[in-house]
Amino acid sequence: MKRSMGVAAWMALVAVIGAVPLLTDDRYLLKVLVFVGINVIIVSGLALLFGYAGQISLGHAAFVGIGAYASAYVTSGLGLPWLVGVLAGTTLAAIGGLLLAMPSLRLRGHYLAMATLGFNEIMYVIFREARAVTGGNDGLSGIPFPEVLGVRMDTPASIYLLVWGTALVVVFLVANIVRGRPGRAMRGLHGSEIGALACGVDVARLKIRTFAVSAGLAGLAGTLYAHAVGFVAPSTFSLEQSVVLLAIVVVGGTGSLAGPVIASIALTLLPYADALIPGLGKDVIAFLQDWEADIYGIAMIVVVVLAPKGIGGLIRAARSRSRAEETG
Amino acid sequence: MGMGTRKWLALVLVLALVIVPLVGCAAPEETDTEETVTEEPKEPYRIGAVLSLTGTYAGLGAPEKNTLDMEVARINADGGVDGHPIEIVYEDDATDAAKAQAAVVRLIEQEGVIAVIGATGTGGTMAMRADIERAQVPQVSVAGGTVITSTFSKWVFQTPWSNSLVVPFTLDYLKDKGIKKIALITDTGGFGADGLAVLQAQAAKAGMTIVASETFNPGDTDMTAQLTKIKASDAEAVVLWSAGKEAAIVAKNMQQLNMQIPLFGSHGNARTEFIEGAGAAAEGFKFAAGKILIPETYGEDTLSYTVATDFKERYTAAYGKGPDTFAGHAYDALYIITNAIGDLDEGFTPSDLRDQIEKTDSFVGIGGVFTYSAENHNGLDASDLVMYEVKDGKWVLAE
Repeated sequence: MKRSMGVAAWMALVAVIGAVPLLTDDRYLLKVLVFVGINVIIVSGLALLFGYAGQISLGHAAFVGIGAYASAYVTSGLGLPWLVGVLAGTTLAAIGGLLLAMPSLRLRGHYLAMATLGFNEIMYVIFREARAVTGGNDGLSGIPFPEVLGVRMDTPASIYLLVWGTALVVVFLVANIVRGRPGRAMRGLHGSEIGALACGVDVARLKIRTFAVSAGLAGLAGTLYAHAVGFVAPSTFSLEQSVVLLAIVVVGGTGSLAGPVIASIALTLLPYADALIPGLGKDVIAFLQDWEADIYGIAMIVVVVLAPKGIGGLIRAARSRSRAEETG
Repeated sequence: MGMGTRKWLALVLVLALVIVPLVGCAAPEETDTEETVTEEPKEPYRIGAVLSLTGTYAGLGAPEKNTLDMEVARINADGGVDGHPIEIVYEDDATDAAKAQAAVVRLIEQEGVIAVIGATGTGGTMAMRADIERAQVPQVSVAGGTVITSTFSKWVFQTPWSNSLVVPFTLDYLKDKGIKKIALITDTGGFGADGLAVLQAQAAKAGMTIVASETFNPGDTDMTAQLTKIKASDAEAVVLWSAGKEAAIVAKNMQQLNMQIPLFGSHGNARTEFIEGAGAAAEGFKFAAGKILIPETYGEDTLSYTVATDFKERYTAAYGKGPDTFAGHAYDALYIITNAIGDLDEGFTPSDLRDQIEKTDSFVGIGGVFTYSAENHNGLDASDLVMYEVKDGKWVLAE
């Protein structure tokens, strides 16, 4: 019964996502939704790391950048096929996550946050200074469109389907990870590291693997970003962006995947509200864009103070209430 | 139950946070269409403008926006172009190439503009290239990098003198002063990097040796390290190529290091912010730029002089200070587009507009007299330049 409901929910999700390009040919809306899909992928990985394993990362934008620049260089610099670029970007970001996780194993809480923050700053400098590969401060343009088996995805609708198809697969896989044995181990680690150790969880390995998977997903999102937009510049991968990503996960709530995904959709759409609401004044958009960071910050504070479990917590509470009503 | 209410409260607050700005700002929406509120029944022509209103080029973006505001109001008060009012849709790229690229996508896809003015910077201008070409919308850049027109695109035009005009002009001046060894200090942004490349290519031709070459990043706050290296070299002059606010820091650091050799800049420094920022260190600073700073240099009996003095008077009356060269770039970009629109019949496409802009012939602007062609999208030459010097906190003609 429960399983069939789950399958139905997934199918409904696929149907809704697949229907969007049939319902609209608004190029701007589709481009905005591409950004939303990309953030859903990053946030899924970050939810795994922060929401389940309890490890903080203020360096995820750097992993997105590694993926984006690697894929851009492999395709437009070396002239290799798009899929090779995606593979290279994702792998390189995962390796970066692995290398960062190993020394950071000794660190917890604030110190881990500081180490990852430092990593983001170092990568930011590299993105700016490694001009031969990254194009320096003014970025890299002319990145080719995604192309698989001779099919070029150069329309907003095809890129939308590519990004959201990938996002669906990622969310599905992450949902399976958290439901299975690794997910239980992660929750154990989040609750009490010593407790998890006592239960036979190889904490060190789990941390490194989770970090690598999470970084790899950020890298994958980065490769999609580079080819969807066709242009990358360092400021897209700054510390500020890492903070925004973490804020989305905090608002979404720990120990939840649905919460962060909903939060990433809502908060990513916010500065592009004019794509969804026709006739919205230019002033409103300018206001939302100017105050974007502040709005995220306030949302985060409100959540931490009033609903520490975030959107995910609210979903769980609503669900258990309705279940209690059914049985009671 | 207490917890439950608190949670609902939180949800309501979050929702309020999202909704209040939307609703709260919906009211002033009407005032937004200020430019279009005329009795004209005809649809406005919408032109996008990607300007750096914040970030290191904010000092360039501000006069550009002032100019567009003022001139569009003037055009619309005169009944618009062929009865259509002009509407400028502004985007601030915060001197960030990534934001400039995102902004041009919004302008093309969401705002449906027929032409784009900008970006303020060379980096931003180049970042927009792929989307401009994909959408086939004409772009008139107000940035001075050579790369903008030397990496040719049929869709992209430029109003400032490119580095390939200003660099030889500056080197010739140095040569006349008997300077043979120069040190370069350039920023790593689009304009600085472009200037560096042109300087390196042109120095030998002018009989110069580059004895030191240093760079800094936009946003840097101290160039003492780079200047110390330059001081240790046997350079006879320092050539600075940067349009950002960091230029003033270079001048100040040179004074702090007690460097006696002269500092030369570029048309990127033709603004009062440089003089204000560098203070006493700005004295003796020389740079090449267009004639608007001292309109008499156009020659008092020329049409250029009439156009420039008229613009200068109106700008000074509106904003309380004279226009700089950047105001001039925006003026030229706007009128090059609106003149082309005026020459076209109703129902033209952005592609028709591009073709018409390319036919611009002897347009008397602020930066000079523009003639575009299928090969030349810059349209100016070295005769539109003069050498300035800062004296007593003001621009004067250099000897």
